[in-house]
Amino acid sequence: MRSLKDCWRLLLALLRELADENAYRRHLAAHGRRHSPEEWRRFWDERLPARFVRPRCC
Amino acid sequence: MRRMLGRLLWAAVSVAAAYALAGIALNRGEPVNSVWLVVASVCTYLVGFRFYARFIGARVMGLNNERATPAERLRNGHDFEPTNKWILFGHHFAAIAGPGPLVGPVLAAQFGYLPGTLWIIIGAVLGGCVQDFVILFASMRRDGKSLGQMAREEIGRLGGLTALVTVLLIMIILLAVIALVVVNALKGSPWGTFTIACTMPIAIFMGLYLRYWRPGKVLEVSLIGFALVVLAIVGGQWVAESPRLAPLFTLSGTALAWAVIIYGFFASALPVWLLLAPRDYLSTFVKLGVVFMLAGGILLVRPPLQLPALTRFADGTGPIFAGTIFPFCFITIACGAISGFHSLISSGTTPKMIAREWHAWPVGYGAMALESFVAIMAMIAACALQPGVYFAVNSPAGIIGESPAAATATVTGWGFPVTPADMETLAREVGEQTLFHRTGGAPSLALGMAHIFAGSAGRRLLGFWYHFAIMFEALFILTIIDAGTRVGRFMLQDLLGHVCKPLGRTSWMPGVILTSAAVVLAWGYFLYQGVLDPLGGINSLWPLFGIANQLLAAVALCVATTILVKMHGARYMWITCLPLAWLVTVTFSAGYQKIFSTAPRVGFLAQAAELEAGLKAGTAANVAETQALIFNARLDAAVCGLFLILVLAILADSIRVWYGVLSGRREARLLEAPFVLTRLKAEEI
Repeated sequence: MRSLKDCWRLLLALLRELADENAYRRHLAAHGRRHSPEEWRRFWDERLPARFVRPRCC
Repeated sequence: MRRMLGRLLWAAVSVAAAYALAGIALNRGEPVNSVWLVVASVCTYLVGFRFYARFIGARVMGLNNERATPAERLRNGHDFEPTNKWILFGHHFAAIAGPGPLVGPVLAAQFGYLPGTLWIIIGAVLGGCVQDFVILFASMRRDGKSLGQMAREEIGRLGGLTALVTVLLIMIILLAVIALVVVNALKGSPWGTFTIACTMPIAIFMGLYLRYWRPGKVLEVSLIGFALVVLAIVGGQWVAESPRLAPLFTLSGTALAWAVIIYGFFASALPVWLLLAPRDYLSTFVKLGVVFMLAGGILLVRPPLQLPALTRFADGTGPIFAGTIFPFCFITIACGAISGFHSLISSGTTPKMIAREWHAWPVGYGAMALESFVAIMAMIAACALQPGVYFAVNSPAGIIGESPAAATATVTGWGFPVTPADMETLAREVGEQTLFHRTGGAPSLALGMAHIFAGSAGRRLLGFWYHFAIMFEALFILTIIDAGTRVGRFMLQDLLGHVCKPLGRTSWMPGVILTSAAVVLAWGYFLYQGVLDPLGGINSLWPLFGIANQLLAAVALCVATTILVKMHGARYMWITCLPLAWLVTVTFSAGYQKIFSTAPRVGFLAQAAELEAGLKAGTAANVAETQALIFNARLDAAVCGLFLILVLAILADSIRVWYGVLSGRREARLLEAPFVLTRLKAEEI
C-alpha cells in the first residue's frame, strides 16, 4: 500500500514537473514571493521564451 | 545467498533474451506472437542496462556520486536544479519521444518484422543508448554545455560550425517530412481534419485560461483540454456524417499543406503563451498516456504478427520506399535505434537537472531503451495488421494503381491477399471514405493501434480509436512543427544578426515576420514537393531525413569518441567508434545510392534523367509539373550531397584530433569543470 502511494506521489511530481508547476514553486521559493496572477505571468514570460529556443526531438 | 539469487536472476534474463531473439530470428512460416518481440526487447535492454551501461559508467566515465553536479553547484531554481532521478527520467523521456520511433518502424515493416526489430534492439543497446548516455555524461561534466559548444571546444571550430549547420538543415527536412505525415493522414478525412482543427482553438482557450482565469493551474487546464479534444473526436464523427459540414473539412493534400504552412507561420510569430505552450503541455501528457496505454494494450491483446519475418521487398523493390535492407532499413528507423536529435536533449535541459552523477545511468541509457521499446510497439502495431491492408494503405497510387480494383490486384499479386470489399469495410468501420494510398505511416499505425485498443475494449469503437490515434500523432507532430519553426527562426535570426543587426533582434516585428516566413517557406517547399510527388513524397523525404538524423548522430559520436580518447587514449574508444563506423557506413551507402543509383525510384539524379527523357519524348502528362519534379529531384540530390560533405568534414577533423592525441603530438586536455565535493543531502533530491 505504501509503495503504491509512493508511486502515485512520484507520478504526480513528474506531471507537475512536466507542467512547470514545480518550476513555479521553485521560482516562488527562490525569490521569496507568494503566488499571484501577476507573479505567474512574470514567471511564465521568463520561462517560456527559454523553453522554446531549443530544438524539439523527432 | 542474495548475491547468488541475483546472479541466477540475471542469467535467466539473459537466457530469455537470447531465446526470444533466436525465436523471432529463426522462426519461419508460422505467425509469431508479439509477446516474443516484447520479451526479446525488454530482456535485451535490461541486460544492456545492467552490464554494458554499468561498465561504461564505472570503468569508462568514472561516475562518482561524491562529485557535485552542475545542478548543485550552479543551482538557480530555474535551469539548474537537482531533481529526483525518476522524475528526471520521465522528463527526459518526454523530451526525446517524438514521431520518429512511431513512423520509422511502420515504414520499415515493408521488409518484414525481422530486420527492423533486430536493428531497433541491437542499435539501441550498442548505439543509441550509448550515445545518449555518453553525451549526457560529457555535458554534465561541462556545466551543461550544448553539443555545438562541446564540438567546438573538443574538436575545433569546424566541428562546431558543422554541428550548427547540420541542426538547421535537419530541422528543415524534419519539419517537412513530419508535416507530410500529417497531411497524408488527414487528406480526404473530414473526421480527422475537424478534430485536429479543433485542437487550435482548444489550445488558445487553454492559453487564455492559464494567463487570465486560473494562472498556474497547468494540470487542471490540461485535463480540461484533454476532455475537449475527446469531445472533438466524438464531434468529428458527427461532422463526417453531416452532408453540409463534411465537404468543408474534406481537404486535398495541397490544401492541407497550405493550411499547415500558414499554421506554422502564425504559431511561430504569435506569443508563446497563447498557442505553443498550452499545446506543448497537452501533447506531452497525451503522448505519455498513449504510449503507456499502447504498452498495456499489447500485453492485454498479445496480437500475432501477420507480416512475415522477411518480405520479397528485401530486394529493394518495396512500394513504400525503394531500396534494399542495407542501408535503407537503418536510415528509415532512426529514432528507435539511434537518433542524433537525442544528443541535443542530452546536452540541453537534462544535464542541468541531474542530482547525482550515477543518475545519468538510468536517465541517459534507460530513457533511450524505453524510447526503443516505443519503436518495438510501433512495429508490433504495423505487423499486427493484415499484410494486404498494410500495403494497400501505405503504397502510393503511382505504384499500385489508382482504382481500388487495380490497387488490390497489385497487392494480392505480391502474395498479400486483399479485396476492395475488405478495404471498404475497414474504411467504413473507422469512419473514412477510403484507406487506399494513405502513405506516410500514420494511418497504418493508427489502424494497428485502433485494432489493439479495440481488441481490449470492444471492436464497436474502432472508429473512435482510429481517430484518437490520428489525433495523438497529429497533435504532437504539429507541436513539433510550431516549436521547430520558432527554433529555426531563432537560429536564422542569430545568423542574420551578424549581417544586419536589427534582424538579430527577437523583439523587432519585421525581423520576426521575415525570418518566420523564411523558415516556413524552406520546410513548406519540401512539404509541397512531397505532396505533389506521384510516388507519395515519403519515398524521397523520409530517407533524406533519416540520413540527416544519422549524420547528427555521427557528429555526436565524433564528440563522444574525442572525449573518450582524451580520457583513456585508445583503450575505450571502440565503445563509441563501433556505432560511429556503422553509422558512417550506412549514411554514406544510403547517401551515395540516393544520389547516384541508376534505379529512378532510388537515385534522385536517375529520377531527374528519366523525367527529362519523358519531357523530351513528349510523353510527360504535365510539362510544368514535370519540370518542377526534375528540379526537386536535383535539389534533393544536392541536399543529400551536402549532408555527406558535412559528415566527411567533421569525421576528418575528429580523426585529426584523435591522431594528434594518440600520437602524443596534441595535449589531451579535458575541459571538465573542476571536482567539487557534493553537499547535497539525500532528502533534498
